[in-house]
Amino acid sequence: MTPVFDLTNESAGYRGATVLTGVTLRVTTGERIALVGESGVGKSTLLRLLYGQCRDRASLIPQEFGLVQSLTVFHNVYMGQLHEHSLWRNFRNLLRPVQQDVEAVRDVLDGLRLEDKLFSTVGELSGGQQQRTAIGRALYHTGDIVLGDEPVSNVDEHQARRILKILGERKKTCILAMHDRALALDFADRLIGLKGGQIVLDEPTAGMTPDDLDSLYVH
Amino acid sequence: MDSPRPRSPLFKTTMAFVLIALAATIFADLEISTIHPWVELKRLLLGVVTPDFYATDNLGGALVYTLAFALLGVAFGNIFGFVLSLLFFSRIVRTGCAFVRSVHELFWALIFLQLFGLSPLTGILAIGIPYAGIIAKVYAEILEEADPAPLQAIPEGTSRASAFIFVRLPDAWSHFKTYSMYRLECGLRSSAVLGFVGLPTLGFHLESAFSQGLYSEVSALLILFYFIIASMRVWMRRAMLPFYLVGAAAILPWGLSFSAENIWRFLTHDIVPYPLRTADGGDVMANMGAWLHTMLIDQALPGAIATMQLTMIALVGTGLLTLVFFPLISPLLFKRPARTLGHAFLVVIRSTPEYILAYVLLQLWGPSMLPAIIALTLHNAGIIGHLVGRYTETIKLRVDACTGIRRYGYEILPRIYRQMLALLFYRWEVIMRETAILGILGIMTLGFYVDSAFADLRFDRAILLILVTALLNIAVDIISRRIRSRLRLQTSMEVQ
Amino acid sequence: MTWLKRTFVLSAVVTAGLFSATAMAETFVFTAIPDQDESNLRTRFEKIATYLSKSLGVETKYIPVKSYAAAVTAFRNNQVQLAWFGGLSGVRARGLVPGSRAIAQGAEDVAFETYFIAHASLGLKEQKSFPTSIKGATFTFGSKGSTSGRLMPEFHIRKSFGKSPQSVFDRVGFSGDHSRTIALVQSGSYKVGAVNFKVWERELKEGKIDVSKVNIIWRTPPYPDYQWSIRGDADKNFGAGFTDKVRNSLLSMTDKDLLAAFPRSAFIPATNADYKPIHDVAKSIGLID
Repeated sequence: MTPVFDLTNESAGYRGATVLTGVTLRVTTGERIALVGESGVGKSTLLRLLYGQCRDRASLIPQEFGLVQSLTVFHNVYMGQLHEHSLWRNFRNLLRPVQQDVEAVRDVLDGLRLEDKLFSTVGELSGGQQQRTAIGRALYHTGDIVLGDEPVSNVDEHQARRILKILGERKKTCILAMHDRALALDFADRLIGLKGGQIVLDEPTAGMTPDDLDSLYVH
Repeated sequence: MDSPRPRSPLFKTTMAFVLIALAATIFADLEISTIHPWVELKRLLLGVVTPDFYATDNLGGALVYTLAFALLGVAFGNIFGFVLSLLFFSRIVRTGCAFVRSVHELFWALIFLQLFGLSPLTGILAIGIPYAGIIAKVYAEILEEADPAPLQAIPEGTSRASAFIFVRLPDAWSHFKTYSMYRLECGLRSSAVLGFVGLPTLGFHLESAFSQGLYSEVSALLILFYFIIASMRVWMRRAMLPFYLVGAAAILPWGLSFSAENIWRFLTHDIVPYPLRTADGGDVMANMGAWLHTMLIDQALPGAIATMQLTMIALVGTGLLTLVFFPLISPLLFKRPARTLGHAFLVVIRSTPEYILAYVLLQLWGPSMLPAIIALTLHNAGIIGHLVGRYTETIKLRVDACTGIRRYGYEILPRIYRQMLALLFYRWEVIMRETAILGILGIMTLGFYVDSAFADLRFDRAILLILVTALLNIAVDIISRRIRSRLRLQTSMEVQ
Repeated sequence: MTWLKRTFVLSAVVTAGLFSATAMAETFVFTAIPDQDESNLRTRFEKIATYLSKSLGVETKYIPVKSYAAAVTAFRNNQVQLAWFGGLSGVRARGLVPGSRAIAQGAEDVAFETYFIAHASLGLKEQKSFPTSIKGATFTFGSKGSTSGRLMPEFHIRKSFGKSPQSVFDRVGFSGDHSRTIALVQSGSYKVGAVNFKVWERELKEGKIDVSKVNIIWRTPPYPDYQWSIRGDADKNFGAGFTDKVRNSLLSMTDKDLLAAFPRSAFIPATNADYKPIHDVAKSIGLID
């Protein structure tokens, strides 16, 4: 298997402060990884570090969604392929969506239950709907890697499982930060635990129970 | 006497400005020189209640022209301002914009009258050019404040242009629209005022009616003017905008042509200082020295001092009056019926161009600094009072908060003070621009000397004085920005 | 955002229209310095336009301007070809347009006068010599570019006091026009003013002046003032002999109604040389470089 990421003793920070230290990590194509740990422990920083290494092949679902509030769901999802189209095509889509692109976006949204919101302005949607729009944008991106920062935090568990399934089907490699341990164990085949800015746990999920992760949350 | 705790920088800055204004007031000429100032006021008020809509020849034309110049001027400013805002990272563009906006539209009009005569270009550019400078700055600020998060999420390899139109522009767009509406309102005021220097807008007739004491006609013209501004949100539909613009362009009298020769002559001959232009060897340097001495020591210096004096008094006066005006529309202090009256009052005083207000007061009280101070203070306090009043709508008081004057002093004032200072410092530069222009009415600010130079057809002098005015304005802008950043004052854009 | 598209197309149309604005058809246009109440100017000059259209056989139009300088600029830029100027504005205009000529003046303009007027509270009577007792009062000129309201009074003030008006008087203003000067002195806004004697006499006759409040205190020696000036290229643009035709039309204006509006009794020929004294005075007090 070819490695997607290969980090050796990396450090990373945020606004001048070092958050991650001595991270060594190797990820190969086809892995489904869950990042777990307390909030503020460096999950987002790690995701950004990874995203910075493969921007050309990966899509990112930021925790705060990174949506353009005044555009519609269609436009925000379409942004996943902004780099694939000419400026003129992008401009045309902004003024009046091209039928072909609308259909393509509609296909991606299938399963995310957003079809009826296709031309709603994102700013008017609920948090869950916005989150699904951000997921739609990542799915519409043609790369085969997805990096998600709590991508299903705003939807109910039933929907979360369905969305994770879709992500797993359409993207080869998934690295998702998650706070729901049960969901993480169900979805991922490898689990990375962070504590104090370092990787303290990196094991296959097979046979793990949520309680096995307690140590990550104890001081 | 030592204060138990260190004074806040806000307090110190306020005191410094108040002291400067007090000192300026001591030296100001505040005399009411008319013998019967109130007789004329009585006639004016009588005129106000008996408007005569049939007194003005071609009133419809004046109205349409006022709209046409405003629409085209603001459209011009918007298009160029937008393009320039994209280039605002460049120091040259920033400096250029600072310069064009530091010159008042009336001065631009006086310059363009020389270049294009009474051609519609004069009016459109007089509004459009300074507005482009203002709009570029405001749009650049808006774009800068756009949410950066979506930029992180767009795919690698997206062209900058695509990223711009998808990420930056959409969020900024609604701000652009709001700001454009505000600019259009300013544009209508500017357009009307351009009539004072001869463009065929409402101001043209207003000036005649005023100077002849035909107050019923004045009243009718002002009512029409308020009506246009008040009804703006009804007729200004974006679907209609293209038709308005084309209509405006179609209706203006383009027949008045101008020649490239005039423009060339103005730029290469008229504005060259006289001693250089007529140089015949020998004493050029000496003559130039004498010329500069006359211009700088006899005109620019006293003009600049009067301009600063008036600016400082008007700025502090605006602050004081704002404290009185904003409660009138604050839901925290007044119930609805009273607030409606307050709104109406503030709309009228802020819609009246300060130039017209000063003109009226000058007629009433004679030519001291007093009418200018009152006019600037009223107009600007109307604007800032409105914004601060609206701001109090966002304040949530605890249920058991005290009431009346105590509520004003202890609950509201501390909450709005920072916001109010921010607005005032933004407005400082605008007030200064306005004081310069009041010179055209005979108050000895820089504008007076500029106007005299134009009256004497000495364009070399006029341009030099306008440059001095612009530099003074830019200096105030820089000082204001320093103070704002030191005190960390930030605010909405609707005061620029 | 389909709206954006529409705006793009339409603004292109507007821009195209802007640049294709064609030169106007050959209309003969004139203006006049706005030296008194504008309603008077309008009625007065629209009648003259009708008269000239008829007698010249060319469509003639009057455009109003807001200032003396604007009249000169319009003349210089060929937006008007003929203008009713004051002495000073005429000198300035002809200085800027090579070949332009003064062609006619009012019969009264050969020996024009300025009246110094004062508010009754000063208690001044009319006198033969310059009233030096006005020192320290408030003083208003007419327009900054006026001959009778600015140039000549300033000349006499400087001659009598040896100082600029700003250092002679407590406060110096520019009323804008002669009607306004009278009104300001009558109301006491300014104690002393300088006014065009023809405007004073007409307003007196019309009963607009309250002589118990404002009176004449001094009359200046006579000087040449108003005149019609025409551009040097008028013959080229409107046909040979056009300038003479315009002059003849003006000189043969006998309709009392037309003349009374100026107010002049008749128009007589004038030449540029008639205005040399004005040029010299303007130069001596620094109003012309």
